[in-house]
Amino acid sequence: MATLEVKSEVTGSVWKIAARPGQVLAAGTTIMILESMKMEIPVILEDGGTLSALHVAEGESVTEGQIIATLTE
Amino acid sequence: MGGPEKLARRKAAGLLNARERLARLCDPGTYVESGLFATSTSNPADRDTTPCDAKIAGFGKVNGRETAILSNDFTVMGASSGSTNGRKIAHLKRVATQRGLPMVFLGESSGARMPDHMGSRGMGSLLGNDATQYQRMRETPWTSATLGLCYGSSTWYSVMADFNVMRKGAVLAVSSSLLASLAVKEQVDPQEMGGWRLHAEITGFADQVVDSDEEAIDAIKIFLSYLPAHHREAPPVAAVPSGSGEAMGDILGLLPDSRTKVYDARNVIRTIVDRDSFFELKARFGKVGVTGLARLDGRTVGIIANNPQSKGGAMDSDACDKLTSFIVLCDSFNIPLVLFVDTPGFVIGTEAERRRAPGKIMNLMNALALTTVPKISVILRKSYGQAYLNMGGGRNSDEVAAWPTAEVSFMDPVFAVRVVDGLDPGAPGYEEALEGMDRASAVWDLASVYAAQSVIRPQQTRDYLIRMLEVHRLRLSNGVGQHLMRAWPTSY
Repeated sequence: MATLEVKSEVTGSVWKIAARPGQVLAAGTTIMILESMKMEIPVILEDGGTLSALHVAEGESVTEGQIIATLTE
Repeated sequence: MGGPEKLARRKAAGLLNARERLARLCDPGTYVESGLFATSTSNPADRDTTPCDAKIAGFGKVNGRETAILSNDFTVMGASSGSTNGRKIAHLKRVATQRGLPMVFLGESSGARMPDHMGSRGMGSLLGNDATQYQRMRETPWTSATLGLCYGSSTWYSVMADFNVMRKGAVLAVSSSLLASLAVKEQVDPQEMGGWRLHAEITGFADQVVDSDEEAIDAIKIFLSYLPAHHREAPPVAAVPSGSGEAMGDILGLLPDSRTKVYDARNVIRTIVDRDSFFELKARFGKVGVTGLARLDGRTVGIIANNPQSKGGAMDSDACDKLTSFIVLCDSFNIPLVLFVDTPGFVIGTEAERRRAPGKIMNLMNALALTTVPKISVILRKSYGQAYLNMGGGRNSDEVAAWPTAEVSFMDPVFAVRVVDGLDPGAPGYEEALEGMDRASAVWDLASVYAAQSVIRPQQTRDYLIRMLEVHRLRLSNGVGQHLMRAWPTSY
């Protein structure tokens, strides 16, 4: 089973989390919405899998490239 | 090929062999071989064990069109590069260039043959004797499939190609993980070093990723169907599928009501172009910039778009590289460009500068300026700052059209109120200043100074583009551009 890291594309903050660890998620699922540049930017899974961990909480700041979730394929 | 045992092992692994790949690619009965009796000549003992010298070369028709094809046979000496097969590749490329045939490289090779290349005699005899070996002038389209372990020449041709499709499980790298492990004295994982995720997401060397050999070969056939056979003819024209444009009436529903919300620009593209014709390239790389081939009224177009779903549409260095390489492809092969604009500007900040953003932005700008195929820009929503120019604003397109939802200015009103008026949110006069900025960014002022030639209803976009591409057809040169970037960077 491969582990996939989900990274933030932008520097900003976590506005809303839309998934919880343990969930089996399909590719294309929005797992959280970030706020950056005054816009709401979704974090959308490229590949499906089981969400093994979320590394950020709502309201937290994130930087570009930061690992924000881990997925098991 | 390399004998029944090796072939059986491949079959058991679900892989096609070199000749099965050729059969999948070519129209039945059209393949003619070049060099069936060629063998390795470096070592007399290899003559009987190196059929075709490990690289099968020939000509076949792909969807009715003559094509030069190289299929690496990994079952023979790992399809390593030797002197005889080097001559075969050179011959294929020469014929393709002189006669105007697309090239297909079916890649799977272990690199330079050992020990033939060892020592100064080996190097002097086998390498560097063909000055055009790695020359690329984009006279004809080159395509590549990365179908297994690809080191050395298979890697070089994959990254030089106009289209490279990678099968999951394949590896594309300079040299093998074994050699890399010896060099850096640590275990190197082949997939980490050259697997599909790396090349789809980080390097962009994989234009598409597929699960099987069959899908890879089919992807090459589809890619070639959009392109002319060579640079001196216009792309082929296809029949228009029924149902094309039938969802145009609902297109405005794809845009969110709020300017702070995002959407997937690819849904807008798919709605506008001929049904099922959008063939996206580098979907996982530089995702804020979308590139792909498509058809409008049966004619090939190159589509470029900002994708607000990624980074809010703010363009980064990878997206600039992606767009630049795509513009070079389209301009070199006479494919008109359509740009869909929705960007708040370029990503700025320390990381952007470290990624050489100024150079990337100017490469893209110059590529657009040097383009001689028709280019039409449609502003859907935001178009700010330098990115306005990079996405075809002003005279950087042959025609600029804007939806009524378009907003154009030097910077986003939210930031402009702070910079220009020195007002923070909540300060007295902030809301009024923001409203004034919003009003001034509306499309009508752009149209009044003729910087947008047309303001169109979103529902009209498909019809508008078809008509404007007809107006701007390159009649004086039979649809052929000037190819000013044909020798631009071989790879990005």
